[in-house]
Amino acid sequence: MNPDHHPLVVSVCYIRIAASELHASARFAADIFGLQRVAEKNGEIAFRSDNRFRTLSISNGSSNGSGAGSSIGIEAWDEVALVEIEKRLTKGGFTVSRATTDDCRLRYVQAALLARDGSGNSIDLVARPTQSGRRYFPSRDAGITELHGVGIRSTDMARDLQFWKELGAEVSDWVGDITYLRIDGLHHRIALYPAKRHGLLYAAFEVETLDNIMQNGYFMQERQIKIVQGPGREPCSKQIFLHVEGPDGIIFSYVSGMKEIGPVRRPARQFPLAPQSLCDWGSEAKDVPELSAGVN
Amino acid sequence: MINLKDVSYVRLGTLDMESAETFATSCLGLQVAERAKKALYLRSDDRSHTLCYTEGDPSDQAVGFEIDDEDCLQQAAATLERLGHRVHGGSADEAARRKVRAFIGFDDPSGNHIELVVRPERSGRRYFASRDAGITGFSHIGLNSTDPARDERFWTEVCNARVSDRIGDIPLMRVNAIHHTIALVRAPKAGIQHVNHQVESSDDVLRSYYFLSERRVPIVFGPGRHPTSGARFLYFNGPDGMVFEYSVGVDEIEDEATHRPRQFGFEPTSFCMWGSKPAGMALPNDK
Repeated sequence: MNPDHHPLVVSVCYIRIAASELHASARFAADIFGLQRVAEKNGEIAFRSDNRFRTLSISNGSSNGSGAGSSIGIEAWDEVALVEIEKRLTKGGFTVSRATTDDCRLRYVQAALLARDGSGNSIDLVARPTQSGRRYFPSRDAGITELHGVGIRSTDMARDLQFWKELGAEVSDWVGDITYLRIDGLHHRIALYPAKRHGLLYAAFEVETLDNIMQNGYFMQERQIKIVQGPGREPCSKQIFLHVEGPDGIIFSYVSGMKEIGPVRRPARQFPLAPQSLCDWGSEAKDVPELSAGVN
Repeated sequence: MINLKDVSYVRLGTLDMESAETFATSCLGLQVAERAKKALYLRSDDRSHTLCYTEGDPSDQAVGFEIDDEDCLQQAAATLERLGHRVHGGSADEAARRKVRAFIGFDDPSGNHIELVVRPERSGRRYFASRDAGITGFSHIGLNSTDPARDERFWTEVCNARVSDRIGDIPLMRVNAIHHTIALVRAPKAGIQHVNHQVESSDDVLRSYYFLSERRVPIVFGPGRHPTSGARFLYFNGPDGMVFEYSVGVDEIEDEATHRPRQFGFEPTSFCMWGSKPAGMALPNDK
């Protein structure tokens, strides 16, 4: 099969995070955020958000983004695509290794490459992630329909951009140096944020409508869960969002309504690094430098 | 039967015309149509004015409803007098100050001052807002009622209003296809409880939420969504304690013949399906 005929990567398929308080974090994921707890293996608790077997795992540990329990899973087209990806990343000078059988079992996938981007973020390129035969049935009606994408902290934007370009991602837009990366028909699934340290900035879960975004906002307010930013709307992607503070400062986001770009290529647009480039409505992220457009 | 076509304008007395104008333009986003000696006319759509601040006591309030023609006006006056309402026939000068051809004034059973108007003026120039709040037009009012059941009968039997939905015993009433033009609110005395302007999109509701919050305008309810009309809303305080609302997405009643009012319980989720709670604003049935 010619890898040029299909994309090398197709989706963001899971997030694995390490949290200092495993059980409190698990309660947040299920009872507060509204995911479905499905399994526990080797100290990792797994949660579902859609028809995949799991899209979030939490383990005990420090959440610096490079520990054993932290990685972002990117689904490759198939095992052949993994071979091509391995070749490209190796040639590009990135750290990449074949996952062991145990690594794969822990990740609920059939094959995987364990790679690091230029900043040191662990990125798993995986083939055949496990789906579930049962439909998703969450613990509360948060309206979640799928794991949508991720925001990643970058300490080396040029190298990280190269990493994602090796995988076939394209830049949709820039806000200052914040880079929105497209891997399918949607505006972006991955966003890189210039930062002083690496790590996962946010995990974004799609919800059905604006209603869910707003309901979840009031739900968090009532429980005194910190809302980092939002409700707001990203001008570049038209996506509405609510960024909620999750375990160890990792942001869990509800998102909805991202613009489709479709198959026609267009040049990436440059927006100035300013709060109104990150939120059309006027919400601000006062405590998160990556999201505050240089104001703080 | 008095056939109301639409709500036309609201007149609000104020002791501080300057503050009223500042709020109306820099916060609410209306367009100044005319500054008269003792009145400020404001536009929100293609009508010549939909809000008029008049110099005077803030309790001097009136709501204008458009009716078909001067014959209808005469019949309405006769009907109201027969029912024991004191009817004031507007003079030419008073009509000119309302930018209408002719009008009559009377009090509804709760004592709200109502004006029935004929041929309210349109403007040749399109509406051009003072700030980009996304306003598409003045749309409805919340009206205090000392006895909602009695007032519902007045609006639906003497006038042509129809109940679209009820929350507890509070009716939301329409006079055209729009879900409601008059929302009754239980209150100890007469008065306009809120003035609604429609905006283009839910984006505008949320933008105004942040815009007004930053300017320390008290947000009294929302951002939220009414399960009755489906509208996304934001209520906030204006001068003299008046509550203004932005909303978008008010349903239209599709089939006038078969629509039956739905009954909602008198509880917070009947007013907001998102979970916002009124702050400093009474819910329509609070006693």
